[in-house]
Amino acid sequence: MRNRITFKASALTWLLLAPLVVANLFPFAVMISTALTPGDVVLSGQTRWVPVRLAWNNFTEMWVTTGFGQALANSMMVAVMTTLLTILVSVPAAYAMSRMPFKGMTGFRIFMLVTQMFSPVVLVIGLFTLMVQMRMLDSLPVLAVLYCCFHIAVAIWMLQSYFASIPIELEHAAWLEGASKFHTLRTVFMPLAAPATAVVALFTFIGAWNEYALALALLRSAENYTLPLRISALSGGRYQIEWHYVMAATFVATIPVSVIFIWLQRHLISGLAGGAVKG
Amino acid sequence: MTAATAIPTRKPPAHRLTAPYLLIAPSFLLAAFIVFYPLYALINTSMRSVNRFGMIQGLNDFANYTAVFADPQFQAAAWRSLVWTGAIIVGTIIISMGVALLLNRKFHGRALARVIVILPWSVSLSLLTVVWRWALNAESGLLNHLLMQLHIIDAPVVWLGNGQIAFTVQIVIGILVSIPFTSSLLLGGLSSLPSDIYEAAEMEGATPWQQFCTITLPLMRPFLNIAVVLNMINVFNSFPIIWILTEGGPANSTDILVTYLYKIAFKYGKLGEASVVSLLMIVFLLICSVIYLRLISKEQSNA
Repeated sequence: MRNRITFKASALTWLLLAPLVVANLFPFAVMISTALTPGDVVLSGQTRWVPVRLAWNNFTEMWVTTGFGQALANSMMVAVMTTLLTILVSVPAAYAMSRMPFKGMTGFRIFMLVTQMFSPVVLVIGLFTLMVQMRMLDSLPVLAVLYCCFHIAVAIWMLQSYFASIPIELEHAAWLEGASKFHTLRTVFMPLAAPATAVVALFTFIGAWNEYALALALLRSAENYTLPLRISALSGGRYQIEWHYVMAATFVATIPVSVIFIWLQRHLISGLAGGAVKG
Repeated sequence: MTAATAIPTRKPPAHRLTAPYLLIAPSFLLAAFIVFYPLYALINTSMRSVNRFGMIQGLNDFANYTAVFADPQFQAAAWRSLVWTGAIIVGTIIISMGVALLLNRKFHGRALARVIVILPWSVSLSLLTVVWRWALNAESGLLNHLLMQLHIIDAPVVWLGNGQIAFTVQIVIGILVSIPFTSSLLLGGLSSLPSDIYEAAEMEGATPWQQFCTITLPLMRPFLNIAVVLNMINVFNSFPIIWILTEGGPANSTDILVTYLYKIAFKYGKLGEASVVSLLMIVFLLICSVIYLRLISKEQSNA
């Protein structure tokens, strides 16, 4: 009888989860409430949760005064480049690992794992001196290449465990019927691998979209700033901070990614758990 | 259709043997590049004097090493890094285990609860911290407003003006942002446990607490181990929370190694000393990686 759901047990579970639910939703409430409060109310320090009137104009004004469009374009460019490059190099590697066992595969796997341990932060000074020497500081494409390098390990890790679950017999069957290797790859393997590849691509996109520490070290000029840099720079000013604009900008930068994330969270979790535990 | 070439042959031709290496080569080269070149640059820079423009000059007899070790700010930041990492991991694991146990039960609205629990994972940590910075504002922040409305406090608290309060707040935020990933990982583990053991235990009359201690905890060990090691790496390297809230201030009282590293490198231009700090952090992380690898290989041999 332990599988029957009772209202009492459900209420108790929600009660126990309540502190975390409140803490998790609190930043979203702050973001939305302030983003819709008129600027003069925010600046006068009259804090309240429900705005006296909804200031939708915060969004349009924020767009102009904060240089949001430029930062959005920069973030988009870096994230798209990172994603394309990562998929381009990870899919072949993951295919090789799941379909053609080769000498040194364990070594390669361990190597990828170790690169995963080196977060950008600990290598940042080395990357910075490299970029200074090669005169490649303050470049968005260079940043995208570096992001790609840091995402390859996880991407291969996740892709390989998905690819391994696609039965190889399907490909064998196609070969026996006389299809070429390339044709088989295109018509049998790729359609089956596509959903997993899309999930990994979105995961990479979100990672690049959200990165802060490396961008802070390597991007110098304000017109090259990505969204996290732009928004944190706005909030770190020495003078009066226009929080209604900052929150409006945060809202626009956050909600689309959150929606995508909610949509794909199930795949993400099973992929991560599989990669972390099964290896 | 080029059918003739495709019939599988018994003896693989030479290109079959090189194909996997060609397929992994690009990713291997890129990953190797960002590990080995910066590592070389860090070791090189750590032993040289560097001028303010980042130009690397002559060897300086390990002066950067002695300077870093002698700096009381480094010692304080290193100590704080350990407190930071330890406190967040302990808090995260305990809360996440509880959350995962709750989310593993069947209850009304479970799908919604799961989404809310992992929601902060989707937000850029830097942007989430910007929101917290505003919420923690002493005069008009919504946290003080809320706590005063609920009569938990009578006067606004200056959350970020005092090192001890600020660091505690930062640790709490650190725990909050680590819970989504950790509870998801643990939930994955819990849902893979066989249910018949629990049914047998219930028949024997084991209480839920006994079941937790004698069945769940031992079976969850591998997942808990991995959660600890992955969090160790993440939290130890975590940068935005402290940097955006206080930049290590007031008076360097909330610096951990990562923020100390950024400060001496990009504010004071001491790239040589910053390289030393990076190398020390890498050694620490390598030790963590070795532990992680051993845990994974143990899992594989047990499975």
